[in-house]
Amino acid sequence: MTEENYRHVYVVIEHIDGKILPVSLEMLGEARRLFDDFNARYSSNEKIVAVILGNNIKDFSKELIEYGADAVVCADHPELKDLRNTIHTKVISQIALDKEIASRIEPDYAKEFKKPRYIFFAADSIGRHLSSTVLVELESGLASDINKLVIHDMTVTHQIKTEGKPTLFKKTLEMYRPDFSGFLWTTILCLNNTTPSIKREYYPQGCSIIPGVFEPIKPDPKRSGEIIFYEPKIEENDLKVKVLSHKIVKSEVDFEIRKAVVSFGRGIKDAPDENIKLVVELAKQLDAEIGISLPISKKLLPASQAISSTYMIPARVIGTSGSKISPMLYVAIGISGAMQHIAGMQDSEFVVAINPDENSPIKNECDIFINGRMEDVIPLLVEELKKQQQVVQAG
Amino acid sequence: MEPLNLAVIVKLEPDFSEGNVSYKPDGTLNRNETKSTLGPHSGIAAKAAFYAKVRYGAKISVCSMGPPWADIALQQAQQTCDADVLHLYSDRIFAGADTLATAETLKTGIEKMEGKMDIVFSGHRASDGETGQTGPQTAWKLGFTFIGNVISYDVNLEKRTVVAKCLLTLNGVPNVIEEIEAPLPVFLTIDPSYKSNFTTVSQRIAFEKYQKEAYERARNFKQSLKVFNIDELGVDKTLVGLAGSPTIVYQVERIPKGKATRQAEVFDGSNSEHIRKVVAKMREALSAMVIK
Repeated sequence: MTEENYRHVYVVIEHIDGKILPVSLEMLGEARRLFDDFNARYSSNEKIVAVILGNNIKDFSKELIEYGADAVVCADHPELKDLRNTIHTKVISQIALDKEIASRIEPDYAKEFKKPRYIFFAADSIGRHLSSTVLVELESGLASDINKLVIHDMTVTHQIKTEGKPTLFKKTLEMYRPDFSGFLWTTILCLNNTTPSIKREYYPQGCSIIPGVFEPIKPDPKRSGEIIFYEPKIEENDLKVKVLSHKIVKSEVDFEIRKAVVSFGRGIKDAPDENIKLVVELAKQLDAEIGISLPISKKLLPASQAISSTYMIPARVIGTSGSKISPMLYVAIGISGAMQHIAGMQDSEFVVAINPDENSPIKNECDIFINGRMEDVIPLLVEELKKQQQVVQAG
Repeated sequence: MEPLNLAVIVKLEPDFSEGNVSYKPDGTLNRNETKSTLGPHSGIAAKAAFYAKVRYGAKISVCSMGPPWADIALQQAQQTCDADVLHLYSDRIFAGADTLATAETLKTGIEKMEGKMDIVFSGHRASDGETGQTGPQTAWKLGFTFIGNVISYDVNLEKRTVVAKCLLTLNGVPNVIEEIEAPLPVFLTIDPSYKSNFTTVSQRIAFEKYQKEAYERARNFKQSLKVFNIDELGVDKTLVGLAGSPTIVYQVERIPKGKATRQAEVFDGSNSEHIRKVVAKMREALSAMVIK
């Protein structure tokens, strides 16, 4: 067995209510960039295979090819209308192992094909769980919440996997994931065990990708690709799980309709309740929506139930694990500026930061840096806003 | 009708709450100085199991994989859900496991528990690892129907089914709430916004009764605790720990600081003239005719 038995990158596409999710096109874009380089470097012709499951979804295939897929495997079946973890996991795994499909994707390697080389999912409520169960079914490794990918040959020494011997792993996918603080980057590798007593081949190398990180390619209507219809094998017993209802919920937070967003971070910590009230007052004056940094959503600061359930909620998070916004005015209060937050607000037109620490990274990301504690600065800002507002009204 | 047989998977995690967490000057976690506690998402999973105990009557077993001192996480969970049984899977060989190998250990432990499980609960994700993979992977190994992001659920004891409401958070489209019905056994991962609703008087009475019992049990938690090493658990050594982990952490580095994208003008927050200028600039930014 060699790595030649494992081929292509399979990208699991998500769609909901008739729309392909942006993250799926972003994943195809990154796969395209990685594989154009991969095929040139390794003189190979491996493919980007989009995998899509659903009912009446044939029309999506063309769009996926325009966005970079070389082949689309389409499992179109009435029982795939709803997303049921068991059925979807089995069908994705069937597709990943299907030799007939592989022979249509790359006839030259029809006999050798065993499993996909890589598989990508979205790191959202759908992909996070599907990736987990599919990778158990395919008996391989998975890294979650990835925001950078690199492929190359690596020599790795690992006490258990390689018995401490330097070992060459060809075409290894380096998967980078930012940690919860946003300051550290961990590289995860999915590697075969070469140690004889535990010898095992781990393919596909799987990951889930953070939405909003990668750019889709410019869609090209002239791109061509292979569309493969797959007839899924669905077990009677799995149909006992039923989706009884499916409702779109209006979020209580809407960043799109406001010109301004005011966000706060861990800098509120000395008096969370009082400081959040200050932020709310400033937001009111600016007619702004209120955002937060990721740590705030973990509800680790002592705040009253009413304040915490209104403002310290995941729906308000700005950043890679929340919303990506581009308001005309963004005010960052007591936010240090971890990369994961910056990624969510850097497209704002004008950025004001309030922070007592001139060395915090947010200073590199703002147009105005107000040096001071929020407790002191916000009341002055609010007062001045009221004053200037009055002047306009009087005039 | 048989009472429900429930298991909860919990994890000992760094305590990120203010006062207990310690960061190094560079902003990264100082693990040596940071205390450990029952992970907040694990706590919510225990709360969800307690709901079934109050509502339907149930036997609850809580389990964890971790170092010997992870027994405090089990104790805290017991106080939340009035668990009857506590299992700790603790062995040096388990250390360094990725999610697949962890799921193998947890699956083996749950299958070793008394009677067949009806529902297994786990948290949404750990606050240190944050992968959210261990729950669904354990579910798949157990062969249980997996339902994620659960914000509320109810059990039909006669039909032996569960109906769960799930919140799907997606990017670029509005969120979705789905209601899913599935025959037992099921594996539920509980969303942070989960709420238990105790509506009737008898439920509230049961709630208080079990809460008192939970407090007593947790005080003497060692009586409910059983610790398993790898041999006692009887799990295949090549499928757990580092040997059973497809993935490794290859390196950890600081995320390089991005180049300054903007040139900040610095103002003094205590200077009223500066504040006046800042407000003028903010108002200008808001009134700019920007076509987006």
